[in-house]
Amino acid sequence: MTAESVDFTNIDFDQLFGFGDDTNPLMMLVWILPIILFIFYGQRIQLQVTSGEIKKAIKKLELYKNESRNELIDYVKKNMDVKYDPTKKIDRFLDYFTIMPVDMDPSGIVDKVQHIVRSREDYTREQVRALSPKTSNLELTKVQTLLEIATSLQMIYKVINHLFLTAKKQNNYPLILPLQMILPFIMEEAEAIRNAIPAFKQGQPIGDGIGPMVVGKMMLNSKKETIAFQTILSESEYEGRKLFLLKAEGPGSTVGRPGDAVEKIISKNKPDMIIMIDAALKMEGEDSATVAQGFGAAIGGIGTERFHIEDIATKNNIPIFAIVIKQSVKEAITLMTKEIADKADEVHSQVYEMINDNTKPGQSVLLIGVGNTIGVPQ
Amino acid sequence: MIFSKEKITISYTVEKCKQCAMERKRKFKEGDFLFSESNKCNSCDGMMRIEKIFGETIEK
Repeated sequence: MTAESVDFTNIDFDQLFGFGDDTNPLMMLVWILPIILFIFYGQRIQLQVTSGEIKKAIKKLELYKNESRNELIDYVKKNMDVKYDPTKKIDRFLDYFTIMPVDMDPSGIVDKVQHIVRSREDYTREQVRALSPKTSNLELTKVQTLLEIATSLQMIYKVINHLFLTAKKQNNYPLILPLQMILPFIMEEAEAIRNAIPAFKQGQPIGDGIGPMVVGKMMLNSKKETIAFQTILSESEYEGRKLFLLKAEGPGSTVGRPGDAVEKIISKNKPDMIIMIDAALKMEGEDSATVAQGFGAAIGGIGTERFHIEDIATKNNIPIFAIVIKQSVKEAITLMTKEIADKADEVHSQVYEMINDNTKPGQSVLLIGVGNTIGVPQ
Repeated sequence: MIFSKEKITISYTVEKCKQCAMERKRKFKEGDFLFSESNKCNSCDGMMRIEKIFGETIEK
């Protein structure tokens, strides 16, 4: 071999890799192999990449689940004077499930749902009370809410983990897609639920409590009576109008039973107008703590209370007005923010303005502060 | 995230004097409830009532 035949100073890279020639077999392999690989194994590769992200989220959910369970057990041990280790019982409470009624024949479904949900609430309350019968109602409502938080986080973890493991087991990428899409929303909600724990433990008002806070302040210095389970009614007067003020019984963690209460009030005194004050979920881009007025029953939850209020208002031809304070999911269930607390006075004046604009002296108004009343007495 | 700062929420209680309407903000302490009477007012010796309890989030 002569020095002229191997000239390392003059290598033609275009020729070596076939950049200028589409028929070079080496170059064809370089292009075709990944294509074949992605055709047959593309979904599996995507599954592996997506799995990494989902695994991290599931680890976080598991952490939240364990944290909430441990905090609940610690709280019960410290505040309920339990004579034995309540861990086993609490673990059993955490596994409680609810089977919703059959909806093939929807007639009467609201009463059935209400019956099942209330049975669960009542049974759980009595079970928690049985841990230490001397426990005050305030502590009992707090423990019940902490139990609901821990149960929700456990359920979220179980469902997400199940969906993930099913997709992995079947090596099925399309099955993991919906999970990947809903995961950011689930994580936001799970973080909000987990962040709610300190406020409930310390009995501090949460964002959802802005309605009861406004009505509770109006109830101060007036006679109060229990009108329905964990629900308080008070009567007051404003510029010749009679005001029926209604809220859940604070400062415990409860939303009361406003549906039952409205039914009882209207059976005795028919108000000319109902005003409901509640927290409402803000849309993305909307400012937090903005106050808005509207029509219809402003009340969340499973829908049974709203159904009863709408039903009775329709039968008696009573208009329902709503004032809502916009907030995010996180703000609604965690310690009330300064922005929301500062809006209480504005809501107060809007209520009076609404009453002046829509009623005459001599008429009566039912004002309902809707929401969880933790840390908000009356 | 590596560069995101840790956020902590500090709870505050705002008391308002029923006589002179002076407001005072202090850190929340256990047992504070809205609308309950808390301390004596520093300026007029009247009773103060808890008007607000809220949290402020700061970045560490």
